[in-house]
Amino acid sequence: MTAPLPVTIVMIEDDDGHARLIEKNLKRAGVFNEVVHLASGTAALDYLLGPGRPAQSPMLVLLDLNLPDMSGIDILVRIKDDAELRLAPVIVLTTTDDQREIRRCYELGCNVYITKPVNYETFAQAVRQLGLFLAVIQVPPAP
Amino acid sequence: MGADARYDMLRSKAALGRLTFALMAIGFAVLLALGGGLVWLVQQTRVYAGSVASTQELRLSLVQILNMLQDAETGQRGYLLTGEASYLEPYQAALPPLEAALPDLVARVVADGGQAELPRRFVGLAEAKIEEMRRTLGLAEDGQREAALALVRGGEGRRLMDDIRTTGEAMQARSAARLAARTGQLDEAGEALLLAAGTALPLLALVALGTVVATWRHLREIEAARAAATTANAELEARVAERTASLAAANEEIQRFAYIVSHDLRAPLVNVMGFTAELEAALGALRDALARAEAADPALVGPAAREAVDADIPEALGFIRSSTERMDRLIAAILRLSREGRRTLAPERLQPEEIVARIADSLRHQLDAAAATLTVEGRLPMLVTDRLALEQVLGNLLDNAVKYLDPARPGRIVLRGRAQGGRAEIEVEDNGRGIDPRDHARIFELFRRSGPQDRPGEGVGLAHVRTLVRRLGGDIACSSERGKGSVFRVTLPLVTPAARLPLPGDPVA
Repeated sequence: MTAPLPVTIVMIEDDDGHARLIEKNLKRAGVFNEVVHLASGTAALDYLLGPGRPAQSPMLVLLDLNLPDMSGIDILVRIKDDAELRLAPVIVLTTTDDQREIRRCYELGCNVYITKPVNYETFAQAVRQLGLFLAVIQVPPAP
Repeated sequence: MGADARYDMLRSKAALGRLTFALMAIGFAVLLALGGGLVWLVQQTRVYAGSVASTQELRLSLVQILNMLQDAETGQRGYLLTGEASYLEPYQAALPPLEAALPDLVARVVADGGQAELPRRFVGLAEAKIEEMRRTLGLAEDGQREAALALVRGGEGRRLMDDIRTTGEAMQARSAARLAARTGQLDEAGEALLLAAGTALPLLALVALGTVVATWRHLREIEAARAAATTANAELEARVAERTASLAAANEEIQRFAYIVSHDLRAPLVNVMGFTAELEAALGALRDALARAEAADPALVGPAAREAVDADIPEALGFIRSSTERMDRLIAAILRLSREGRRTLAPERLQPEEIVARIADSLRHQLDAAAATLTVEGRLPMLVTDRLALEQVLGNLLDNAVKYLDPARPGRIVLRGRAQGGRAEIEVEDNGRGIDPRDHARIFELFRRSGPQDRPGEGVGLAHVRTLVRRLGGDIACSSERGKGSVFRVTLPLVTPAARLPLPGDPVA
């Protein structure tokens, strides 16, 4: 089964293990979209806003907040400040479950906030459900 | 300034104070003496004026008496010479007042301070003169005019009159002398007083000046001391503020550290657990493959491989899993503590009894199971504090009290409280199994527990309670005896100040 749109999933995640587990579980949920994994904030900003930015394909951002070189919130702000990127759904997927952090992310325009459960069964289930969600949501096409 | 120097200064100040006081006392004594002298002088002057008046009156009386005597004599002589009754008139007019004035004279002179001798002689002479005049006039009336005239010619009357005059003059001289002496005395007293005032007034002025200068200096010193105290106070406050700020910063750093560490610890934990699960899933596939291989050819699978797949690997995975789960709980505890330290307090007016009642309801099942009672003795003090924090503090303490009751006796948990000096003290007393004295401080540390580890828990509750209580500006202590029970004593400010200032690095709410 393939997603209805050729949406690129941009995964900004510094922990390779997490990235691998997320990818595995997305696949298990039947999400076979292209996943671009970026392991640092700098790499992410470079990919999203740098000179070689992908102009054509619609995208969905999976964002971790605890990055070594910057806060994921900074990236969220930059995405929502950008005229084109701001339409892309942003799903914050992070270990932080601080209420103020969550509130802040929604205020800044994140679409979904998911706390990574430490318990793997829950984690896997959350990612799989996210996959189901990704399979049905509509992402605006690139302008 | 050294302590000795300060002491010396204090001593010299005290000496100065004593000197000032002595000078003032002297000044006032002088002033008082001067005032007394003045009063005395006024009194003297009045006495003087009175005596001068009486002396003058006396002198006047004397002159009048003399005049009357002369009038009487003139009348006597005129009548004797002419024989005409009209000439006798001055005599007749002078005689009654003369006779009235004479008897008092001696007493009046004595009263005026004179001697009795002269006036007595004067009165004697005057009476003799009157007697002489009366005798001659008596003879004339009897028709013996010549005999009367002969008597007059005899010169007794004239001699008497001359004596009277001399005596009168002597009396006048004496009274004049008395007057002069009095005036002299008064003058002397006045002069003495003037002299005294002349010396005293500059002295007084000096004392006044000295006192003013000393007082002014003293005031200036007090002013300087107050300024110094104010400066010292300000410095102290600044220092306290500085320390408080650095303490708050350090505290904030620890909070952030705990927060970050717990998050960063969680991330690898997700991997450990995730890949453990992956391993378990893979193990399942492996086990199936092994079973199929064994079914095909039992010789293919040795006991070591079977042992590994059936026992060793599942056991290892089980330990990894239970350890990571425990680690997750510990991290969650650290996170909760750090979050508690960052939460903004919202103090409100609270009646602790209401909170206790709510907690008691939630503990009802455990209380009943342990056949325990929870009572509030008296009234708990009204508090203005953070509701959630107080709920958690009391909740944890009561939860512990129930959890560590001694099954050997019916549980009895008592709450009591009182307000004192702006602080509330709330005691939670139980008759549970008690805490070893060695552990009284330790139990408030994170992940530390006491006694037999037969109850669930991570050693987080009391650490959490202490964090909360300290955040509210209070403290907690424990006193307990093993096998008897424990008392946890929480002291809180009656009014917890409103939200702490936002610290740098706080996410914007």
